[in-house]
Amino acid sequence: MSALAQKDIEVTGHVVDGSGEPLIGANVVVKDVKGLGVITDIDGFYKIKVKEYQTLVFSYIGFASKEVMVKSGSKTINIKMEEERVNAVDEVVVTGMGTQKKLTVTGAVTNVNMDDLKHFSSSNLSNTLAGNVPGIIAMQTSGQPGRNTSEFWIRGISTFGAGSKAYILVDGFERDNINDLNIEDIESFSVLKDASATAIYGSKGANGVILITTKHGKAGKIQVNGKIESSYNTRTKTPEFVDGITYANLVNEARLTRNQPRYYQPEEIEMIRTGIDPDLYPNVDWMDLLLKDGSWSYRGNVNLSGGGNTSRYYASISYVNDEGMYKTDKTLRDKYDTNANYKRWNYRLNVDIDITPTTLLKLGISGDLSKRNSPGMLRTRTKEDIEDSQNQMDVWVNDDDIWAQLFGYNPLLSPIVYSNGYMPMINIGRGNSAMLNPWVSATQSGYNENWSNNLQSNVTLEQDLKFITPGLKFTGRFGFDTYNSNWISHQQAPALYSAFPRNTQTGEITYDRVFDQSDMKQSSGSDGSRREFIDLLLHWDRKFAKVHNVGANLKYTQDSYIQTQNIGDDIKNSIAKKNMALAGQVTYNYNNRYFVDYNFGYNGSENFADGHRFGFFPAWSLAWNIGEEKFVQNTCPWINMLKVRFSHGKVGNDNLGNERFPYLYTLDSTDSGWDWGNGHVNGIHYTQVASPNVTWEVAKKNDLGLDIVILNNRFSLTVDYFHEKRTGIYMTRNYLPWSSGLESSPRANVGSVKSEGFDGNFKYEEKFGEVRLTARGNITYSKNTILDHDVENNVYPYQYTRGYRVDQVRGLIAEGLFKDYDDIRNSPRQEYGEVQPGDIKYKDVNGDGVVNDGDIVAIGATRTPNLIYGLGVSVMYKNFDINLHFQGAGKSTFLIDGMCVYAFSNNNYGQIFKGMLDDRYVDAQTAAELGIPANEDPNASYPRLTYGNNSNNNRASTFWLRDGRYLRLKNVDLGYTLPKAWVNKAHLNQVRFFLQATNLLTFSKFKTWDPEMASSTGQNYPITKAVTMGVQVNL
Amino acid sequence: MLLTSCADQLDSDKYFEDRKTLETVFTSRQQSEEWLAYAYSFMTNELADVIGKGNGHYHCFADDMYYGDRDPQYGDDGEYRHTYNAFKLGEYDEDTGYWAWEKAYKGIFQASVFIHNIDMNPQMTAEERIDRKGQARFARAYYYWLLLRKYGPIPIMPDEGIDYTQNYEALSIPRSTYEECAVYIAKEMEQAAQEIQYWKRDPLNIVRPTKGSCLAARALAYLYAASPLANGQLKNGKHDPSVKDDIAKLLTNFDGTHLLSLEYDESKWARAAAACRDVMECAAGYELYHAPYNTVATFDRDATIDPPADGNFSTKNWPNGWADIDPYLSYRQIFDGEVGMADNPELLFTRGYNMCTDINNSITSLVAHQLPSSLNGWNAHGMTQKMVDAYYMNDGTDVPGKDSEMNGGDGSERVQGWTTAKPGENNFRNFPPLAANVSLQYANREPRFYASVAFNGSKWWDTNPSHTTSGTYNPVYYYRGGDDGYTNSTRYLRTGIGIKKWVNPGDYRSTNGDYDHIQKKYETAIRYADILLMYAECVNELTQSYTIDSWDGSKQYTISRDEAELKRGIQPVRIRAGVPDYSAAEYADRDVLREKIKRERMIELMGEGKRYYDLRRWMDAQVEESKIIYGCNIMMTAAQKDDFQKIVPITNLPTTFSEKMYFWPIRKEELKRNYKLTQNPGWQYYD
Repeated sequence: MSALAQKDIEVTGHVVDGSGEPLIGANVVVKDVKGLGVITDIDGFYKIKVKEYQTLVFSYIGFASKEVMVKSGSKTINIKMEEERVNAVDEVVVTGMGTQKKLTVTGAVTNVNMDDLKHFSSSNLSNTLAGNVPGIIAMQTSGQPGRNTSEFWIRGISTFGAGSKAYILVDGFERDNINDLNIEDIESFSVLKDASATAIYGSKGANGVILITTKHGKAGKIQVNGKIESSYNTRTKTPEFVDGITYANLVNEARLTRNQPRYYQPEEIEMIRTGIDPDLYPNVDWMDLLLKDGSWSYRGNVNLSGGGNTSRYYASISYVNDEGMYKTDKTLRDKYDTNANYKRWNYRLNVDIDITPTTLLKLGISGDLSKRNSPGMLRTRTKEDIEDSQNQMDVWVNDDDIWAQLFGYNPLLSPIVYSNGYMPMINIGRGNSAMLNPWVSATQSGYNENWSNNLQSNVTLEQDLKFITPGLKFTGRFGFDTYNSNWISHQQAPALYSAFPRNTQTGEITYDRVFDQSDMKQSSGSDGSRREFIDLLLHWDRKFAKVHNVGANLKYTQDSYIQTQNIGDDIKNSIAKKNMALAGQVTYNYNNRYFVDYNFGYNGSENFADGHRFGFFPAWSLAWNIGEEKFVQNTCPWINMLKVRFSHGKVGNDNLGNERFPYLYTLDSTDSGWDWGNGHVNGIHYTQVASPNVTWEVAKKNDLGLDIVILNNRFSLTVDYFHEKRTGIYMTRNYLPWSSGLESSPRANVGSVKSEGFDGNFKYEEKFGEVRLTARGNITYSKNTILDHDVENNVYPYQYTRGYRVDQVRGLIAEGLFKDYDDIRNSPRQEYGEVQPGDIKYKDVNGDGVVNDGDIVAIGATRTPNLIYGLGVSVMYKNFDINLHFQGAGKSTFLIDGMCVYAFSNNNYGQIFKGMLDDRYVDAQTAAELGIPANEDPNASYPRLTYGNNSNNNRASTFWLRDGRYLRLKNVDLGYTLPKAWVNKAHLNQVRFFLQATNLLTFSKFKTWDPEMASSTGQNYPITKAVTMGVQVNL
Repeated sequence: MLLTSCADQLDSDKYFEDRKTLETVFTSRQQSEEWLAYAYSFMTNELADVIGKGNGHYHCFADDMYYGDRDPQYGDDGEYRHTYNAFKLGEYDEDTGYWAWEKAYKGIFQASVFIHNIDMNPQMTAEERIDRKGQARFARAYYYWLLLRKYGPIPIMPDEGIDYTQNYEALSIPRSTYEECAVYIAKEMEQAAQEIQYWKRDPLNIVRPTKGSCLAARALAYLYAASPLANGQLKNGKHDPSVKDDIAKLLTNFDGTHLLSLEYDESKWARAAAACRDVMECAAGYELYHAPYNTVATFDRDATIDPPADGNFSTKNWPNGWADIDPYLSYRQIFDGEVGMADNPELLFTRGYNMCTDINNSITSLVAHQLPSSLNGWNAHGMTQKMVDAYYMNDGTDVPGKDSEMNGGDGSERVQGWTTAKPGENNFRNFPPLAANVSLQYANREPRFYASVAFNGSKWWDTNPSHTTSGTYNPVYYYRGGDDGYTNSTRYLRTGIGIKKWVNPGDYRSTNGDYDHIQKKYETAIRYADILLMYAECVNELTQSYTIDSWDGSKQYTISRDEAELKRGIQPVRIRAGVPDYSAAEYADRDVLREKIKRERMIELMGEGKRYYDLRRWMDAQVEESKIIYGCNIMMTAAQKDDFQKIVPITNLPTTFSEKMYFWPIRKEELKRNYKLTQNPGWQYYD
């Protein structure tokens, strides 16, 4: 094409949407000419100078791009843009080697639609995964601001080794978690699940990979997006306790039924009822006293993007403020905050610069700052304990202990404050810790502050090497992250008193000062780490003879991670954790019909000894795109895509948890030695023996997948069956005979686990007039079996973990309650203490005539659900949109225990759950004495009460096993988008108001606390139920 | 190239060069010594020979000594602990005292590493290296010996230490037979004796084993292998119908083979006798400790009390008689801390002062528990009447009324009457060293009796200048109502008979209960007296003559039951003790002499942790350990002193013996880990 033939033309035009409304800020660029482009003005008009026969590209977010060639003489080009409907066939999937069309993917990769996740209002991305992303099993264990994240596993847990966590990459760089990300910044989110998809990550991809890319700017007018929202958080389920009167009566029953005198005399119960002497006979609802009905959260986010001819930018800032559930002392409000609050600021700046037409430089800086506040939570001890120790105060490391106190401190122990202003503390008895009332520990004992600061920076250089050979590209990445956190704990204690019964003469109460006032003291600590990455990628792809698509990738990565604080004195801890990997991929497909992929990872880990250090992990995959075959296209035109995939491969895992260099031994000096007549000589010995042969844990993975898109792209379905076998799981060998003489346990690759299951999702879209309806569903089921495990020899096969699941619950099999003394006499002897009728009767599994630990078997499933599913519906009508999302979990059981479940096991420290004792065993004699109905049913749901611990009843058994299954309405999102015509007049692009509700309804067989929390006692900050209002504005 | 240099990046070894390695340890003299010190460090507490009571180590208490404290059933001593009664009644289990097993094997592993690395040490001379290697080998073999004695046949680990990277199947090493274990120990001891460079050690190295230590331990291993329990269950030369002999049939290996010999093999006695001869004829020139004759009483000793003339020993000087020695002091000073280790020619192996890391298990603690309340002692360890009766009269005859409560004894009756301060027949000066008002049952006994037994009214020295009552030498009585008699606590002597062995005249406890004023005593793990009595015991069993090479092949012994050889073992012990020789008739009769030798061991080695195992290897435990324990009637007051001296059953020290008590149980957890390991008969495998 001769330059002489091309004339400059000025083209103008008007860009409108499907309904004729002008589109402001639409991009108009010249194809294949970098840096040449304009955007439409406020009325949708544009003007651009081009040469003849060049092509103009019109693009706008949410609309399908259009290309128009500028013919000679054409001066006006008006464009009507069609709203984009991404159909499943054209969907783009991000994989380890870049983006590719879903059509050509041969591995098990799930692309998550970020718009679906944005319907969920949560400060944490991880909480939106369960039930949304096929292949992910997730569980939220706490609702405390700043800690309310979910644990998740890709395709479930398939190892009992140190690492079962997924590998997370953001813009190609490893991150510890996804919770610090601002959801609005995410461009794409995909999950790589099988060996062929993760092979490129070699060692780190063994537990699956999550790939996230963040948004980058596009050339054109500046785009401004803002969103603010506010949530009111309540609790999905707060445990409820019986009141003081009921408690007193139950205490009496627990004592009488075991032939102990009653604790509360009838006249004392009367005094509790009338509240006539609250100093000695209080009746306090501590839950109500300490917990607000609800708390507020605020979230705001602004992002800007745009750019000019040679550079583009994306910048965002967001803010989260989650307030805690605790009530605070009003008089302290001006001084400090004892509530559990969490604040976080996120920022991100992505800049892309075209250095030459073939060289692109990307710079990214992002980070977050967070601050978490919590009550001081002082632990106190009795005077006697204190006399033994200089240290009067001890820090509760775990803020959750406030729940332990709320669960422990019964309504009758003390008033909030004695009538003379003294703060109470109950000395339950020598040997037991003294108990603070929860009000004092939550509000009067100071506060803790935690800060953390993450800074992540990265540089990417992309060089097109088409001058060497067409289709060749080089990408180099360098990243540097630092993380710092620190905490300061400010703790104090008021003087604390215990009241004694009134003096019979004066009627005065005596107060024993059990704890002296302790002034505010502080302590602090910090943590930090640093990470560096280098990642070099050579990519080549080319099409030959129109049907042969060939591609290849070669990638080298190297990273190093170092803990910068709290490294102790072992020099092993100061050495950076380093990995390196060479990975490659060759792909071929014939006319998008037959696909073959071969991948490999060659990985090194510094954790292993020379000779065991490198592992080679190959994978291959095949796919047949049946839908592309002529006979299918001819006979079944309604099939848009029909593809079967199979992959097989090996993946390695070098994660040893916090351990380093197991191939090393440690020798140390000790004062255990000998005196040969000339004074004591110290000893030197192995404190840790070497494990020279430790090497990679290897996963062999198979995946069979099916992708279907039919009915004119309206229905799509993906199903994958997976089977995985892990071998060489890194374990401590705990059962070496003592005759070996070792004082430390060697490590070895001894474990093996098989896991299999399926995951899948579907999407169905339909339009009924102006109503657009989308239904989505997904399911993940994963079951594992231990094939080999470090075990000691045993006579009973059921006591091996082999053949059972990882972390499967174990306990005795309860066979109801003993009916009478004859029943006890005629049953195998239970070696857990004396039993009476109404106590739990266990099965003698091995038939040896006694019930003891030899009869413990696997009962139930695992605490982590093995099944997670979700179902969502979206409806759009005119400017309204509504989204409903249900999420459920199944195949989960858990044991309940603790001082509240085992009533009075800690004497009178421990509240009683409302309802839990309703169907308890009551023997006739006690019933008669107390004037309550007897219940000698051996199938009662609660055994005969005991005051003090009952070592027969209070132990893991099927009696206390609960079903963790649940289904919940995870999310409702109702939105209204203002008509374009209005907003455009205000120089805005889009305005959407929304109302969301999270965890609105929960259906579960277990009612006492939220079943999703992995708690056996319920003593955790409950999971929140939230209602959110907000507005989103695009400028 | 790129990959090679990158691969180096993963090599962190450069950072570890400053870490302590086997190479740094074994090229340094000091650190190599520390490695060896750690190998010995497990030889304490439950793995000591002479030891107080603690969790799982009671072998100093059998039918001779008992303790009454730590028993909540009879006192206010708090939580349940392993009491003498629990121990005697077999009420201990697989988890009691399992540390002995674990610690011994830890020491074995540590010693094996030493043996295989010490050759690289450039800072030691070749002689030092081989000597140290021998010391490590001695430690390892001695651990096996302690295990064999306590648990019976045990697994023998590979010489270089186990390859722990193997699978559990390969790590499950089965027990070797008793004979294999004993031979292994003996051969190792033989090699250690070659490696160790010294017959004697200087005072700065006095606790290191010598060639003689190795030979003595070797003799012990052979003696036990020859004894009835391991040698065909022949008790006293025949299958005794009163003793069940199931143990050998029941104790089998994982493959069903027997671990104890079912057939009697007399040559094992000859082998053991030869091993004793190796010690007796070695270059170290061991002899029994003896104190010179003492004409004047001093502040901590009486003048020598002459034993009645026997016309033989009384006329000759040491070593052929006692004319020039003080038998009482000769025995006392072995134990009371007066004679240093280097000055004691009788000491074949000692842990020195290392026998415990917890003072409560030490000899110091034994003493504290023996001292009467009036010296602020715990007043809790006592002696059985059986032990009191075992001691001879000073003319070598049995005490009248010996064992009369047990089937009448020989029909004689216990002596009545008391010493008095009045002139006349019963004046106490006629019965040295008795004070006035002491039962005549304790008069005219052999010197070892007075050095060992704290009978009612025996005098205690109190010579420590830092003690307020220092300088006294007063009788201590155990009558109810007195300071040292029955109390409402666990601190009283159940039999009214205490123990003086180990006590130094200067020992007392200060009122605030510390042990600082009890003189430290070294351990008498293996004494030459033991070897001599072992020799006599072995020779007595022979019916044929045997020719056996000495340990180093330098000579041959011809050994048969010969009166001169028997006397070679017995006479030195009797002479040092100031008692006459056995009669010719007694020497002539194998069965009579066997009983005499057993009794001699009971007396000579009282409280040294030997009788517990002797009773088992002889298979006498079933009879002896289940006999009723007798003692004085401690509920009597001083006014009822005649009744006090009436010997009665001590009902709060009940006894029994079951076959399972021959060997200590192996911990269940070890059985689960090593699935070729079999449990000792009578104990459980699994929960």
